[in-house]
Amino acid sequence: MARRTAILSATLALCAVIGTGSSLSYNEENLPSTLNPLYAASMSDFRSQELVFDRLWFHDAVTNELKTRIVQKWEVADEGRAAKLTMMPGIKWHDGKTLSAKDVCFTVDAMLDPKTTSPVAAEYRQVLAGCEAQGNLVAKVKFTKAVHNPRERLGFAVLPEAGFTSTAISPDLDFAAHPIGTGPFKGSRGRRAVTFDVFQNEHHKPTIAQLRLNDAGDPTLAVRSIISNGTQGIIAVPPLLRPELSVSDDVALKSYDLRSWWFIAVNTSKGPLKDKRVREALNLIIDRSELRKLAIGTMTGDQNSPCEFISGPFVQSSPYYNRAVPVVERSDLKKAESLLTAAGLVKTSGTWTSGGQPVNLNVGMLASLNSEAEDLLSQIGNQLSASGFKRIDQKITQDEWNTRVKSGKATEYDLVIGKWSFGLVEEVNDLFHTRTGGEGKMNIFNYSNASVDKILQEYEAARTDTAAQDAYHRLHASLAQELPYLFLWKLDTRSAWRTEVRGNIIAPYYYFTEIDSWKYAR
Amino acid sequence: MKRWWLRPLVRFSAAVALPVAVPFLCVLLLWALPGDPASIICPPETCSGTEELARRWQLDQGPLHYFTSWVSGVFQGDWGNSWRVMTGLAVRPIVEESLPNTLALLGLAAVPVLAGAMVAALEMVKERVDPFLQVLGAVPGVLLALVAAAWQTLRYGPDGEPMAGLLLGAAVLGLADGVLSGSIIGTRGLFSAERKQRYTGVAILRGETVISNTLPNVAPAFIGQLRARGVQLLSGAVVIEVVLRVDGLGDLLWQATLAQDFGLVMPVVTLFALLSASLLFVQALGEVAVALHVRRSPDLGGSAR
Repeated sequence: MARRTAILSATLALCAVIGTGSSLSYNEENLPSTLNPLYAASMSDFRSQELVFDRLWFHDAVTNELKTRIVQKWEVADEGRAAKLTMMPGIKWHDGKTLSAKDVCFTVDAMLDPKTTSPVAAEYRQVLAGCEAQGNLVAKVKFTKAVHNPRERLGFAVLPEAGFTSTAISPDLDFAAHPIGTGPFKGSRGRRAVTFDVFQNEHHKPTIAQLRLNDAGDPTLAVRSIISNGTQGIIAVPPLLRPELSVSDDVALKSYDLRSWWFIAVNTSKGPLKDKRVREALNLIIDRSELRKLAIGTMTGDQNSPCEFISGPFVQSSPYYNRAVPVVERSDLKKAESLLTAAGLVKTSGTWTSGGQPVNLNVGMLASLNSEAEDLLSQIGNQLSASGFKRIDQKITQDEWNTRVKSGKATEYDLVIGKWSFGLVEEVNDLFHTRTGGEGKMNIFNYSNASVDKILQEYEAARTDTAAQDAYHRLHASLAQELPYLFLWKLDTRSAWRTEVRGNIIAPYYYFTEIDSWKYAR
Repeated sequence: MKRWWLRPLVRFSAAVALPVAVPFLCVLLLWALPGDPASIICPPETCSGTEELARRWQLDQGPLHYFTSWVSGVFQGDWGNSWRVMTGLAVRPIVEESLPNTLALLGLAAVPVLAGAMVAALEMVKERVDPFLQVLGAVPGVLLALVAAAWQTLRYGPDGEPMAGLLLGAAVLGLADGVLSGSIIGTRGLFSAERKQRYTGVAILRGETVISNTLPNVAPAFIGQLRARGVQLLSGAVVIEVVLRVDGLGDLLWQATLAQDFGLVMPVVTLFALLSASLLFVQALGEVAVALHVRRSPDLGGSAR
């Protein structure tokens, strides 16, 4: 009997070892551009950094509660103008040193250092005023003004003081490729992949030994690869390829709450597009139902459709979404034609002309979106051509998107097709505010409207959730009238993971917040 | 013949100037692009405070200052870090990892080219195979590389297999774009034209070998042809590495250029310039050697020469 028990125990132990010593590989949308949290710019940056660092506070993936893994206790100080944090003892950095209050204060000081050229830090400079280490574990973080919930303001990743020579942190330090965090994995950036090796800690006990992040490449190949167990996960599966995976017994499709919506930004300061009636006409020319069918493969009336139309800059489940504004699902070419005629455009031999010249629309689309909505650029172009516009289609690389489109320099385009993704806070001020004094940082065509700016300032000044919602409801209605964007849809993001990967709770936005609970047994 | 040294001297000078001129041109290009260099490298959405970055990256005092500080950094062993492609990684180890792959690719691709030249010089390849060689040479390298990449993906999956990529790449590089056919047909044309010269017939009558007579005369042109093939291989390597995902300098140059990562572009173009310069250097050495050999030959009284 004892021998049988011993054999059974040994077998179970062996299974546990096999289960915990495993390495799994997954495909990301693209390789992260940096592993330094101060310079995160894309979703793959955020997701990767979540594996390496601990944020002071984060939202629980299931209950949405604010939680922390590294702060033992906290209290409000200086009448709400500071928070006193007592750090959890015994937490190790990936280089073996112990996390202390000095590291928290170093992170705050680094973000406050004007020589740290990080936009993330620039945001925090408006909230944080300084930090004082009181002993080894207590840090007093000071705010620029009294805040009613300081934990909400402390969602930044903590950086190691020993990892830097000064508080001026630039983007090209080795830390960006070989970061030191207190997170569950130690990351290392390679040429075509990023590897994350497990790091057991007081507060993290992940069971997966290694994660390997690969660049997605061709989505069809990625799907083949996961079916044949070449890789074990895909972060975002294009809708057209989902049916193939959903019939597989070895792969499970999982929802990833990314709060992304798609749009066509309109260059409101160029040619006939300056006229609101022309923008309205374009909004009526675009047949969203047809586009959805052709580019995403969803039919009208489809239950479980991954695609949900929107009429403003929020997903329908958002508290900011204004349900009083209807979506434009089908085209209305007759009405569009009368609007264009009223705007002074003349249709000659089937082509719209303005001042005797044909109206040429230069349409650009972020190239990576093609994997989610195949040929969307051509389909939109075809609808514009069919209604009498000449058009030039161009794909925009991720780099051009980051350097030119987001910064409002790509004014040669008339229309730009893109997608924005949000976390729990769906703040859209930077998309629509006039570009002045640090506002409107992602205003694609430098749209400027005084009444929209006023609404955005009201949102900024809102002190209650209701006031913020009211402001954004009005913004939604106003944008649906002004049409600096033609709003398309929210497209569900679905991940695929092999069924051998268990307990894989996917956190909204940051994805890997609950990685400790993930298990992988080959 | 009195100024036999002029041509090699020009080549030596070009070989020396090339590794300096090419990166300097890149620097000028960076300044010629619209916008200030620091915000081209790190746009405001990714980096606030571009003045600080310009100072840190020595971009704040004009192209000459940037170039001289980069050169002095290189001589001190500090090649800097990648700014965009592999942000934060030191450039030197990346380049050191990539260089052997590119050299292996070039070396393997050079084998059929050199072998082809040799057999053509010895008249071992008949003219009737020329149409076949011409058809092979007309296939664009990029097309053949795409076919090879597709085969590699089907055979080894999306990640490929590094050694297979290297061998396939070398085969494509050596065969396509007229490299092999040019090497065979060009060399044979050179030697057969020389073989038709009267002095060759006289040499044969004297019992001498053809090659020992023709080689000194065709050597400069032959070396020139080989250098041209070398340059062709060098430029073709960029395409092959990108398509077949070979982790070499060409692929690195492509990625760095797309991302405007001048921290990486500069050392890689310098290395390419050095490789190209070394070909010029070898050609110049060959020409000097031939000239010295000819000048050391016995004077036969003028008429025979």
